[in-house]
Amino acid sequence: MRYIIAGYVVVLAVLFFYAVSLVWRRRRLARAVARVAGAGAPLPTPVAPGGGS
Amino acid sequence: MTTDSSTGAPPTTEVTAFPPTGAHPIVEAPPNSTVTSPPAAAALRPTGVTPPPAQSARSRTTERVIGALALVGTVATVWLGLWVTPPDAVQGDLVRLVYIHPGVAWVALYLAFGLAAVSSVLYLWPRTRALFWDRLAAAAVEVGVVFNVCTLVSGSIWGKPTWGVWWAWDARLTSTAVLLVLFLGYLALRRVPAEPEVRARRSAFVALFAAIDIPIVHFSVDWWNTLHQGATVLNPGLTLKIHGSMAWTLLLGFVALTLVFVWMLLVRYRVGVLEDWLASNELDLALAERQSEGTDPDGASPSSRVGVA
Repeated sequence: MRYIIAGYVVVLAVLFFYAVSLVWRRRRLARAVARVAGAGAPLPTPVAPGGGS
Repeated sequence: MTTDSSTGAPPTTEVTAFPPTGAHPIVEAPPNSTVTSPPAAAALRPTGVTPPPAQSARSRTTERVIGALALVGTVATVWLGLWVTPPDAVQGDLVRLVYIHPGVAWVALYLAFGLAAVSSVLYLWPRTRALFWDRLAAAAVEVGVVFNVCTLVSGSIWGKPTWGVWWAWDARLTSTAVLLVLFLGYLALRRVPAEPEVRARRSAFVALFAAIDIPIVHFSVDWWNTLHQGATVLNPGLTLKIHGSMAWTLLLGFVALTLVFVWMLLVRYRVGVLEDWLASNELDLALAERQSEGTDPDGASPSSRVGVA
């Protein structure tokens, strides 16, 4: 029976930790995207060549 | 050059293109140009970055429903497999490993790597070429590799008490291990720095090359005299060689693990979208910030002064 338990534990643990890592990666990247997008936002509005508005 | 994270259509970064000649908007003006606009440096800076397409509420709801169903299905499979179903007449309790081992193999070999192969073909086909297919293939391969590892480990744990060894150079086992190595190579290749289109094209070729091994894995038990037993479900006649509660538990395991795969694929695809967006925009922003550091308070950049001189 220990082989069966070991098989289930290993498979479920691998899938569980991979799922957790995916969610963690997505959150971390979403925060980074928000930071980068926010960094671009306050830059000044461009002025067209020739000084036009 | 930036590309849209979801569609592959350029560009998503809203950059003030100046001079409007098609040159990269952030690079310095050519030496012989006459940039006379007072805030020339400001004109060279990005005016704002379009964030990647947000995940819609419907998409989030779908993802959560699939995740919940996958969790419930997996728990039910474990409960039925470990406590409800009877031991097998020949294998005894070891048959309980069969409720998850073919399921993870089905996901890895046929769903994940099969999807990666189809997506790669669709990327290479000129009429359907889009970075969407490349991202989908990459997501499928990464999830497939995880399931492939689970296949090999669970099979090995089943093999020790059944065959007396953890590993045998059996045709099915060896071809499955080769498949894992091939797709690990695919993932390694994707980490080699390259333009998104170049990376997508070379990855697609590698995925198709690796996919040649999929039918070899499937038919290995028919083509060679192997230790591994023949297919229980996906045999030529598609006739179940298992019955009653054992058959239902096996099929539930297939469904539950398929749902787990779909959920992981959705999340991993989103990770790919965000990664690509960051890769294409962080450099532009860093360059723009660097450019602005060399700007005089009155707004004239060194490059513009060179141009005027």
